[in-house]
Amino acid sequence: MSPKYPKSGLKRKRIEKKHSKATAEKDLKNGEDGDVTQKPILPHEPNVKARAIFVLENASLTKGHVRKEWKILNSEEDAGFLLKQKKDLNDFCPSVVYEALRAIFDSKLNKAGMVGAVYVKTDEGLLIEFNPNVRIPRSCKRFYGVMLDLLQKKCIRTEDTNEVLIRVIEGPVTRHLPVNSHVVGLSYNSEKLVDLDDYFGAVGDDSDIVFVVGAMVRGKINMEYADDVISVSGYPLRAYVCAGIICEALEHKWMIF
Amino acid sequence: MAKTSKRTGAGGKKKKKSGPSAKAMKQQAPKSNPFESIWSRRKFDILGKKRKGEERRIGLARSRAIDKRKKTLLKEYEQSGKASVFVDKRIGEQNDELGEFDKAILRSQRAHQVKLNKKSKYNLSDGEEDDFEFEGVGALSERDDFEDEMLPDEDDKDGAETSNTNKESATLQQKILGRGEREVEENKHKTKKEVMEEIILKSKFFKAQKAKDKEENELLMEELDKNFLSVVQSKALLSLTEPGKMNALKALSNKTIPNEHNTKDELSTIQTLETSNQEKPDAYDKLVKVMSLEMRARPSDRTKTPEEIAQEEREQLERLEEERQKRMLATDDPSDEENEDVDKSSSQRPRSISGDDLGDSFLADNEPRTKKGWVDEILERRDADDNESKKDDSSEDFESAEDGSDEEESDEDNDEREEDLSMKDWEQSDDDNLETDLGAEEEEEIEDNDEDDDANENKMGRRESEKAQDINAVESSKRRKDSSDSKKLNADGKLPSAQLELPYLIEAPKSLEELCALLDSCSNADIILIINRIRASNAIRLAAENRKKMQVFYGVLLQYFAVLANKKPLNIELLDLLVKPLIEISTEIPYFAAICARQRILRTRTQLCEIIKNPETSCWPSSKTLFLLRLWSLIFPCSDFRHAVMTPAILLMSEYLMRCPIVLGRDIAVGSFLCSMILSVAKQSQKFCPEAIIFLRMMIMAAKDGKQMSNQDSQFCHHMELKALRPLLCLRECVNEFAPLNFLTVMDLPEDSSFFCSDNFKASVLMTVIETLRGYVNAYGQLSSFPEIFLPISTLLLEVALQENLPGALQEMCKDVAQLIKTRVDEQHILRRPLQMRKQKPVPIKMLTPKFEENYVKGRDYDPDRERVEMKKLKKRLKEERKGAVRELRKDNQFLFEVKAKDKAMMEAEKAENAVKVREFLQEQEHAFRSGQLGKGRKRRR
Repeated sequence: MSPKYPKSGLKRKRIEKKHSKATAEKDLKNGEDGDVTQKPILPHEPNVKARAIFVLENASLTKGHVRKEWKILNSEEDAGFLLKQKKDLNDFCPSVVYEALRAIFDSKLNKAGMVGAVYVKTDEGLLIEFNPNVRIPRSCKRFYGVMLDLLQKKCIRTEDTNEVLIRVIEGPVTRHLPVNSHVVGLSYNSEKLVDLDDYFGAVGDDSDIVFVVGAMVRGKINMEYADDVISVSGYPLRAYVCAGIICEALEHKWMIF
Repeated sequence: MAKTSKRTGAGGKKKKKSGPSAKAMKQQAPKSNPFESIWSRRKFDILGKKRKGEERRIGLARSRAIDKRKKTLLKEYEQSGKASVFVDKRIGEQNDELGEFDKAILRSQRAHQVKLNKKSKYNLSDGEEDDFEFEGVGALSERDDFEDEMLPDEDDKDGAETSNTNKESATLQQKILGRGEREVEENKHKTKKEVMEEIILKSKFFKAQKAKDKEENELLMEELDKNFLSVVQSKALLSLTEPGKMNALKALSNKTIPNEHNTKDELSTIQTLETSNQEKPDAYDKLVKVMSLEMRARPSDRTKTPEEIAQEEREQLERLEEERQKRMLATDDPSDEENEDVDKSSSQRPRSISGDDLGDSFLADNEPRTKKGWVDEILERRDADDNESKKDDSSEDFESAEDGSDEEESDEDNDEREEDLSMKDWEQSDDDNLETDLGAEEEEEIEDNDEDDDANENKMGRRESEKAQDINAVESSKRRKDSSDSKKLNADGKLPSAQLELPYLIEAPKSLEELCALLDSCSNADIILIINRIRASNAIRLAAENRKKMQVFYGVLLQYFAVLANKKPLNIELLDLLVKPLIEISTEIPYFAAICARQRILRTRTQLCEIIKNPETSCWPSSKTLFLLRLWSLIFPCSDFRHAVMTPAILLMSEYLMRCPIVLGRDIAVGSFLCSMILSVAKQSQKFCPEAIIFLRMMIMAAKDGKQMSNQDSQFCHHMELKALRPLLCLRECVNEFAPLNFLTVMDLPEDSSFFCSDNFKASVLMTVIETLRGYVNAYGQLSSFPEIFLPISTLLLEVALQENLPGALQEMCKDVAQLIKTRVDEQHILRRPLQMRKQKPVPIKMLTPKFEENYVKGRDYDPDRERVEMKKLKKRLKEERKGAVRELRKDNQFLFEVKAKDKAMMEAEKAENAVKVREFLQEQEHAFRSGQLGKGRKRRR
């Protein structure tokens, strides 16, 4: 592909012309069907500065010592142990966090690099920051392993380069959020039930958007720092569904396909 | 009594001694330090982890450390400036655990021991001690009596000792002590004898106990039995328990108490009642009996191999043939007059053809055959003709074979030899005929087979002989047919009115003539039956040489098929029926079948090339070629990417479509038939066949009015080898009704039939063309170039549909197909993407896998190098220790500094005090001096 430039340019022009002609003809013939053929989706880099930031509140990542083994306490596996300790099983569901993180990190939004950061705040008050480049382990068990490691070492690095991927940071979260970001809290209890597409249209592209999602089985989260508390569904949703809805809406908004 | 008194005395002593210690303890009352009560706390509590560090109290630990220093370091410090040391070596003083009281006890014990030493015997007492002792012991009044009693003995024994109170007291003490010791000893150690006695006693006791228990048990049992019997006899139980069990109970009771006759009458009545109940068999018993009688599962025969199945089939046929022969004999009696011919007499001889009795058939052959069927006659005539020409090359191999194998039979059939040989010759010659027909390649192939068969030459010989038998059988069947021929001819030569009996074992025919002779004037069903029997009796699995036979037979059958297809009144039913055996045989000998097909295709192609040079003759394929092509498309897989037969076949068909000029109406029919055939072949594999589509397009163009031929169309016509396109299919008049075309009838019609010019024919052809086109549209719907291929056709179709002469149904059809094409085109267009300059997928951000340890435990070293880990550990410990030591030293220093500072402060204070005193004194003196020594001076003097 190294002919002289003007020629190739001409060629291209001709092709385009032909193409436009052909499409015009098709239009004539096909009528309304032509619309579908006319608009092929062209993937492009979203030209937006703003990023989405997620805060998962009230995550249950509790370290425990069960049968001479350190682990993240999980109501599925350690139910007997937890009951013996007279704990509420609903307070020990790390799978919620895991699912939510999977939903965020595996979304197209993240693949396109539009997620700024993800913060997880545990119910013990620990604040964890996730680099958007983290590949969340594919199985729950491995994820718990990472979290256990994190809780003891306070930071997790990549396998080859020693880049920090996950680390424990000092609270409160507001210290780490970018300036003049728009903080949106999501709550089932909120009276403000919105369609996210419309909502994003109102917010605009200039400032980063922070979503505060509760990653617990039940209960409320403290949303004092949220500018706006909305609900995306009339039903109580699990964290990962909520994250999925947000990601989808943002993908739609920023044309990520 | 004495002991008790002693003890009480001792107790009194203790009380006395405990006094001061208790006091000391009271003095040590803990003064609470508020810092010591503070516990250290953890930040988080972890589930499942014991809180180890929480017992620690830092304040307490500190005060303890200070205490310890006070005891050690402070002491040392105090001693540091001194030359001599006061060492407390009192008993128990070093031991911190002991209280004051214990210390005292220890000391007194020691004192006693010292006193009781042998050396101390002779020590003179200094009174004090004894008094003390006496005071302690002598609180009791009876002591004197006791002493009195005891004393004389001792005195006697000792002799030397006289009334010395001190001594007495000492001995007394000793005695008491000794006694006490003995008592202790008794308690502690028993002698062996005693122990044994005790053991024996115990065992005796246990035995007695056991015996007693047993007795009691027996008694209880007896009692129980009695009670039970009484209950049993009291009828009350009868109503409650099952009758069957009751009987057993009765038996039991009877056995135990045989003398109870008074109740027997009752029992017997009950028993009779119950026996009737008992005789009814239990369900369970029944089941058990049934199970014991049940047949056991037996292993079934193993599944048969295909060879065995073939063998069985053959045997079945042989049996049937035998039966038929027998029946034939039976029918030969005069009652069957109609069927009887002159040659029946010859066939009366029993002739068996089973493979086992080899000699029989030859024997049968040996007998003079005066009358032969016409087939035999033909054969013989052939023999005469061919003998000279073919004998030299053909008879060699099997002659040698026969020589090897026929040794046992040679005596029998010496005379028969010649005839046999001639027959073989004829067979071989027939083979040759066929082979020449099929070409050189096949010959080679067959010869190869022969070579393979050389290994079992011996078998071959036998085979030959078998062949001879089979031939005989064929002959006989021929004769039989011959006999019935006259009748059949009467019945229009087609269906015999009487049931014609076919031979069951038929030798595979070697040439077309033979086959024709065999199949001639048979009904369709019979032909198929005959073919099936031939196949069964010559199954390839049965014998190795049958492969060759079947190959020859296959060639013949194919030829027969071709001949049938070329006949003018087409026997389509028979052709249909022939397809099945042909397909089956070709699956058995696929290689040979493929070679046959290829040869035929090659020849047809050369013929086409020849014919096409002559523009006058129609070069479209004959019905024979068409049928063969169809047959091959059924036999061979059409979906293969490249196939030895199908690829040339498709190419041939395409060539026909491309090169043959369309002159007549019949050509159009043939061409559209070829198109549909290509469709059926290409549908599965979706092979694109442009010739067929161009042909169809041409046909549709031909249906258009010839006037406006667009530029593109005329250009398009040059692709085909035809100069001008006549509007062959253009309908002149309105056609109201048109039937789907029957291709066979079309083929049967003469070329210049007026039917081909009729509008009816045109309409039907148009319909088939459009239908075929629809098939192509469906088949090629997935091709990415679909729009380019079919869009012009769809416009053509729409134009054709506009013609007024076209019947409504056809118009509908045209529009339908056009619509179908359009939807398909749209589908394809949706899938088409515009050309992009630098097309690339969006690049996702880099995902990084976190590194972590499974079951990470803080503090554990995850270094794989053992030694390094050890070193690290040791270093860590060293560091820890060093730090600890430094800390300790620092604290010691601090402590010492404090002590020193305190001392210093004390000294300072003292000094200051002294200074004040001195100053006061001086001041006073001064004052006195100044004031003339009033007051104080006086005092001093005093």
